[in-house]
Amino acid sequence: MGGGDDSPATNQKAVRGWLSQLARGSRFWIRSTIIAGTVAGVATIIQMILFARIVHLGVIDNVPIAELTPLFISLILALTVRALGQGFQARFAARCSEQVRRDARRQLHKQWQTLGPVELGQSSAGALAREWIDHVDALHGYFARFLPQMGLSLIVPFLILALVFWLDWLAGIFLLLSAPLIPLFMALVGMGAEKLNQQHFETISRLSGQFLDKVRGLTTLQLFGQTEGAAELIRMRSDYYRRITMKTLRIAFLSSAVLEFFASVAIAVIAIYIGFGLLGYITYGPSEDLTLFSGLLILLLAPEFFQPLRTLSQHYHDRAAAMGAGTELLERLNSPANPIDVAPTGSATGETDVIELDSVVKHFRSDQPVLYDVSLTIHKGQVIALTGPSGGGKSTLLHLLAGFLAPDEGSMHLFGNTPGSFQFGWLGQKGFLVQGTWADNLRLTTPDASDIAIETALRNVGLGSLLNNRTQGIYSPVSEDGQGLSGGQARRLSLARIFLADYDLILLDEPTAGLDSDSEVYVLEALHKLAVAGKTLIFSSHHQALLTLADRVLLVSGGEVRDA
Amino acid sequence: MRNLKPWLDLIFKRPGRLVIGGLLILATLLSGIALLAVSGWFITETALVGLLLAAGVAATINLYVPGGAIRFFAVSRTVFRYLERVYNHDTVLRLLTDIRVALFRRLSSASRARRGKLSGAQWLSRLTNDVDALDTLYLRLIAPTALAALVTVLVALVASVLFDLRTALLTGGVLVVALLVATVGVYLRTWRLAARQSDRQEELRTAVIEHIEGFPELTAAGRTGKHAAWLIRQAHQVTAAQTRTDSRIGWHLAGSHLLVNLSAVLSLWLGFVLFQAGIVSGPVLVLLPIALLGLAEVYAMLPDAFGKLGATIASSGRLNRDCREDAPHPQAAANELPAQTALIADNITVKHPDCPPLFSRFNLTVRSGERIGILGQSGSGKSSLADALVGLLPLCQGQRTRQNCVYLTQKTVLFEDTLRANLLLGSPEASDTELWSMLEQMELAERFATEPDQLDTWLGNAGSRLSGGEARRVALARVLLNPAPLVILDEPFTGLDAETRARITLRMQSILEGKTVISLAHGSDALPDTDRVLHLTG
Repeated sequence: MGGGDDSPATNQKAVRGWLSQLARGSRFWIRSTIIAGTVAGVATIIQMILFARIVHLGVIDNVPIAELTPLFISLILALTVRALGQGFQARFAARCSEQVRRDARRQLHKQWQTLGPVELGQSSAGALAREWIDHVDALHGYFARFLPQMGLSLIVPFLILALVFWLDWLAGIFLLLSAPLIPLFMALVGMGAEKLNQQHFETISRLSGQFLDKVRGLTTLQLFGQTEGAAELIRMRSDYYRRITMKTLRIAFLSSAVLEFFASVAIAVIAIYIGFGLLGYITYGPSEDLTLFSGLLILLLAPEFFQPLRTLSQHYHDRAAAMGAGTELLERLNSPANPIDVAPTGSATGETDVIELDSVVKHFRSDQPVLYDVSLTIHKGQVIALTGPSGGGKSTLLHLLAGFLAPDEGSMHLFGNTPGSFQFGWLGQKGFLVQGTWADNLRLTTPDASDIAIETALRNVGLGSLLNNRTQGIYSPVSEDGQGLSGGQARRLSLARIFLADYDLILLDEPTAGLDSDSEVYVLEALHKLAVAGKTLIFSSHHQALLTLADRVLLVSGGEVRDA
Repeated sequence: MRNLKPWLDLIFKRPGRLVIGGLLILATLLSGIALLAVSGWFITETALVGLLLAAGVAATINLYVPGGAIRFFAVSRTVFRYLERVYNHDTVLRLLTDIRVALFRRLSSASRARRGKLSGAQWLSRLTNDVDALDTLYLRLIAPTALAALVTVLVALVASVLFDLRTALLTGGVLVVALLVATVGVYLRTWRLAARQSDRQEELRTAVIEHIEGFPELTAAGRTGKHAAWLIRQAHQVTAAQTRTDSRIGWHLAGSHLLVNLSAVLSLWLGFVLFQAGIVSGPVLVLLPIALLGLAEVYAMLPDAFGKLGATIASSGRLNRDCREDAPHPQAAANELPAQTALIADNITVKHPDCPPLFSRFNLTVRSGERIGILGQSGSGKSSLADALVGLLPLCQGQRTRQNCVYLTQKTVLFEDTLRANLLLGSPEASDTELWSMLEQMELAERFATEPDQLDTWLGNAGSRLSGGEARRVALARVLLNPAPLVILDEPFTGLDAETRARITLRMQSILEGKTVISLAHGSDALPDTDRVLHLTG
């Protein structure tokens, strides 16, 4: 896929760029989160001011408690505002992540559409689903926690620092001295967290892999009577990985311990400085002006100064997770799409009752064309069979006709349209069904079909007998009692959709390959009916019965197409 | 909650570690609270003494004890925090091992039929996500909750000693409410959402996979956009439920935080009453509210953990359901085998659950030392027949009696492990010489002799990649090493070219000397030497 030769550094940069582009789309919620957090931070500062004020007035000035009531009420108000700020911060953060994830999923799906079915088929459905669901979900922590906290860990400590400087510049300097250290902490913590995260994920996934491997092969282990030995092996391996992981963790935790240490020491130094200052032992600097109010306030603010940073370091793994998921998502988003839309197919002209291919060339690698200079005219209502060796280009020709791939050269017109610009029937080798009723499955492609039409279509492909057994007819679930459809039945279900939709053009890729004899008969019959109904059918096949159904058999071989 | 019981039992099998880990967390929390509380006390004391000194009154203050205490707590908070993290992560990893091993043991006594009910992706999520939810149960939920309760009691005790019982009860009461808001309250308001989350996620995954599988058809019909819009709505519903959960957790956190702060305000108010009555001193008055403010940090972890509890219980429920041990299958009493007979299948019916029978009234008697071939087209059910003869597939009718057997399944199963470990499965006692000799016979000796790790070559994803034919021969070697008198081989030569197949067939004659062999294949050229051949007709 694309970007494979990029260095990791540029890759990281690209991922960061993509994440901030997503963030721009949810600016409103990120800002609201930061504002709510700032409100909570300011309310905290006010809370501490009031707290220190009350203590000072009560203890030093011996103000009677009744006179302190307004201050107490303000204090409770400040606490309430703080709680509201916190609550809204969590709410906005959740909303932000919600929106980001929706945007990311839209982007991904758009890319799927651009890539088209053929390109998309290169990746497993499970892997694509994992990207669309789990990788996108992995962005949650970054947008809900890390990103807002980045802003807050600048704003709130700055406000506190300003206040402390105003109260006592020497105490302010103590805090400020730790400020240049903070980027250093962050780097340390970051490196530690990143390593920790990597190590953790690697270990977990390696362990899960081995564990899953043993579970998958459990039958084999049972056959050899070795399950107990395997259990012991799992224990030993797990234990081995634990010891390795702990070695890294011991180092990784050190970096956050450094942050913790500086926070604790700063509090201790400030407490002792203020104590000595209040005693009058310090004869220089601003300490003469210290009061219980200013001293206590500085002490109460000191932990709040470090708190946003500690929170940020706790959320650091969210960033690592988002970067990891982002790398894979971006790779998908940047994978070179075959430009289906801008294919040089020319304008939609040509006659409306023929399919015309004019000197069409398609290659996947530059040196070897799969199809070379193919010119072809197919009349409306014809039944065309494509035959030839596997790898000869039959599927590619069908994909070109379907518009799933764009030709490199030449032009194609299908009944006066460009490929893929109109609705047609497609039957792949794998049938496609969704969980739901028969009706749901058929209305996927023809939403306004009547019940009778649906039932007729199902009977046309020989699924009538299955339907008869179900109590609710077409409104009964396709897979009942955990009993799914066989491969052949699933393909017939897809064929029923084609019957229902009444398309002019129907493309089928090996419609009878790998079918049980029952299904084969039904598919042949159904195709015959479609042919009689005047549809244009183009299919690839080696199947003799199908070839005799065709009006014209084309041999696709070595990049050329000619009548067989 | 009952779902958690087996896992909690497992976790509490390590009481020593849990208690030490808990004590380390407690020491961390108390150091943090004490650092602030003593500092507050110290500042107030110095302020009062400072005023006296300024007024010319001779006052003394002991600077060493509080100064030392402040320095001690600053260092102890860091040290205990570090020790606690290291120690408890070690515990979590040990618990993970315990859970995995327990789960594996349970699974290995479950029937294959039930194991097969889940898809690979579902197993992956069971064994990773669901297990992950359990291994952090102690560190995220049990320990913090227990310690928060303990610290709350300790603070209330301190309040009753320093202040009076009334203050202790009132602030303690507020704290209990805060604790409930942060724990039970969160759980009650989120468990429904959290429990359904995983099911919804799995439904969504199914829908996405269906969408991708139907992509060509949907594209042809011009419906990808419409169907995608529906999918995005589904995904959004899942996210929205998560958003609701997160918001609720956030509000509960804010609420419990508010209550903790209110308890500090309350203690300050009550303290002033006592202070002005001359019962407590100024410095002591400051100590308690500051300690209470510090309690917020102790509660901060709880709402998030309890917000996930619903999902954790659902996870353990799924694990209990899917990994439950089966009652041993009621095997028909093992009949005595007549002499010189290796296997008797008497009137057996082979069928998969919920499917029509593949064979009914199937009879087969195999004499000792006989070599039987069974031929059938793919899809004729010969692998199911082999499974039934071995006993992997329970019979729904008839009786089967056989000697000890070893079975080469149609699917080649090798483990991500060394070559040696893979081979030793067949014969745990085999010497290296025996292994090499068997590899020689399978024409694999050269292949592995050139590998740097020889018998310790790592197979599977992380190690050297074997071709299909090589993997098949390793699996065959493993079966041939086994001493069981009856050997059942299902498509033994998959992926082998005709010449290799012929040479190995020849060697197998002597390796299998004296054993009874039943081989199954789709065509006679894929069978080793046989005395007689049965044809299965579908």
